[in-house]
Amino acid sequence: MALLSIGLYCVSKPNMIRILLGVEMVLNSANLAFIYFSSMRASAGYVDPLGQSIVFLSIVTGGCVMALGLALIVNAYKHYKTTDARELRRLRW
Amino acid sequence: MVTTPLLLYFFSPVLLGLVGVLAEKAKAPRLRDGAAVAVGLWGVQTIWALAKTGPLQGETLVISLLGKPPLGACLEVDLMGLYFAGTAVVLCLLATLYSLAYMGHEDRLTEFYTLVSCLTVGMVGVSLAGDFYTLFIFWELMGLSSYSLVGFRKSLAGPIEASFKYMVMGSVGSVVLFFGMAFLYGMAGTLNFAHLSTVLRDAPLNPWMMVVFATLLVGMGVKAAIVPMHTWLPDAHPEAPSPISAILSGIVIETGLYALIRVLYLVYEPAFFKAPIALLAAATMTLGNILALRQDDVKRMLAYSSIAQVGYMLIGVSTGLAYGLLGTLLHVFNHSFMKGAAFLAVGSIDHQAGTRDLKKLRGVGRRMPLTTLAIIVSFLGLAGVPGTSGFISKFTLFSSAIGAGMGYLALLGVLNSSLSVAYYARVIMTLLSGEPGKDVQVGEASPIMVLVTLAMALVIIWLGLFPGGLTALANEATKPLFEGLTQYIGAVLG
Repeated sequence: MALLSIGLYCVSKPNMIRILLGVEMVLNSANLAFIYFSSMRASAGYVDPLGQSIVFLSIVTGGCVMALGLALIVNAYKHYKTTDARELRRLRW
Repeated sequence: MVTTPLLLYFFSPVLLGLVGVLAEKAKAPRLRDGAAVAVGLWGVQTIWALAKTGPLQGETLVISLLGKPPLGACLEVDLMGLYFAGTAVVLCLLATLYSLAYMGHEDRLTEFYTLVSCLTVGMVGVSLAGDFYTLFIFWELMGLSSYSLVGFRKSLAGPIEASFKYMVMGSVGSVVLFFGMAFLYGMAGTLNFAHLSTVLRDAPLNPWMMVVFATLLVGMGVKAAIVPMHTWLPDAHPEAPSPISAILSGIVIETGLYALIRVLYLVYEPAFFKAPIALLAAATMTLGNILALRQDDVKRMLAYSSIAQVGYMLIGVSTGLAYGLLGTLLHVFNHSFMKGAAFLAVGSIDHQAGTRDLKKLRGVGRRMPLTTLAIIVSFLGLAGVPGTSGFISKFTLFSSAIGAGMGYLALLGVLNSSLSVAYYARVIMTLLSGEPGKDVQVGEASPIMVLVTLAMALVIIWLGLFPGGLTALANEATKPLFEGLTQYIGAVLG
């Protein structure tokens, strides 16, 4: 929950890299929630494998999102010479 | 095994990428174009073959991957999923054909076709997913490929900005959806749709179910561009290359809507989500139409009109009746053709005239009569004029709202439709009236672009005059969510 709130706070910030890190933090808090729920369903000493496996999966997709996001930030930096998301206002209405 | 072709089809982007790279090395770009079209045809053939093996007779196929359903992932193929998957592959095939001419002068085309094929596979996967696990993989595949396709022209600032906005909103949406999945998993101990349905559907409502409802609505609503979460759409759709706008607007947002419908109907009773969805429907269509009125950029106007159309589709969902859902399904198919044709035809004009600004397009239509014909047909369809397929689906939607005792929604829908005629008619008038300025030198677009748009316009009119076949199909497709719900669940558990 702490990670969730920190992440959401970061998403609301102007720096593009910080926004991306915020997204990643929220994702990780969801991952932790999965781990927690799977350990709640432990039986005979084993945790539920479903929760664990979906966390692996989401880490991989999260990595893809990060990679794409950073690539977009590099391209945006080439055009705008800044990583401040407030400067990206060419498209309004 | 009937299911192997489908699983093979999921690897088509890899194959297409390999062929494309080899074709570039061999300096044979025609080979790559041919492969792209072949993969599109392959998709259509796969879905058709799959539909013939049982779902057309109302059966439900379960394809388990990596073990039995409660733990392993599975695809659950029924007519409703196939309906969406079929719409997706047909539209993607048409857009690929169109891109052959439209994108001809761009480079990095191998990446382009591979990403389009990834997007198609993602949508097919989302439509046929039988559990959240599978849904989430394909959801991310669909999302990632659409973010990168929006920003495909990376040498311009606009697409990059739109793509970044789309990516941030889309990935926050996916993460919120993932949170919802975590809560569902915590409550039911499974992510399989059928199991979730048996555990949660009859259980008394508790606050956690409300939280899950909110996360589902936000997570899938971002992709479906439901109003508070729509702000990425009017940027992303105009900035993407036109064939991609057609796919995004025609079917990607509807795939988000499909996931929402599927999950809501499986996990909740319709009575629970009627009121919030009706509210969202009203907000979505009204805001979309009003904002579309003041656009000068034709593609941006069409993007706002997509938001309004999603609002109409939500009416059908909110009724909670099979008839309303029939309207939604009809409108999804018709909208994919109408909006696809509109975006592609406007793309042709953009391609030839080099501008999408309505003020500069005066009289251009007289130089491009065939493209303009397609625009007129598709715009009339979007406005819901009788004789086009848009009328049939809107009529079904609004009459279902009356049937469900929500007459105010039908009234609002009709008012909105008449409002929308204002901006559609404005485009048609501008294109036809007057003579183009001296500096505007335009001719008809290349034959393949004209052919694709005209074929789609023909389908719009054909379905407007003879809607019987499609209506019967869509009617069958709504059954899995109502009478067929126990069968859907039984197919996995039994």
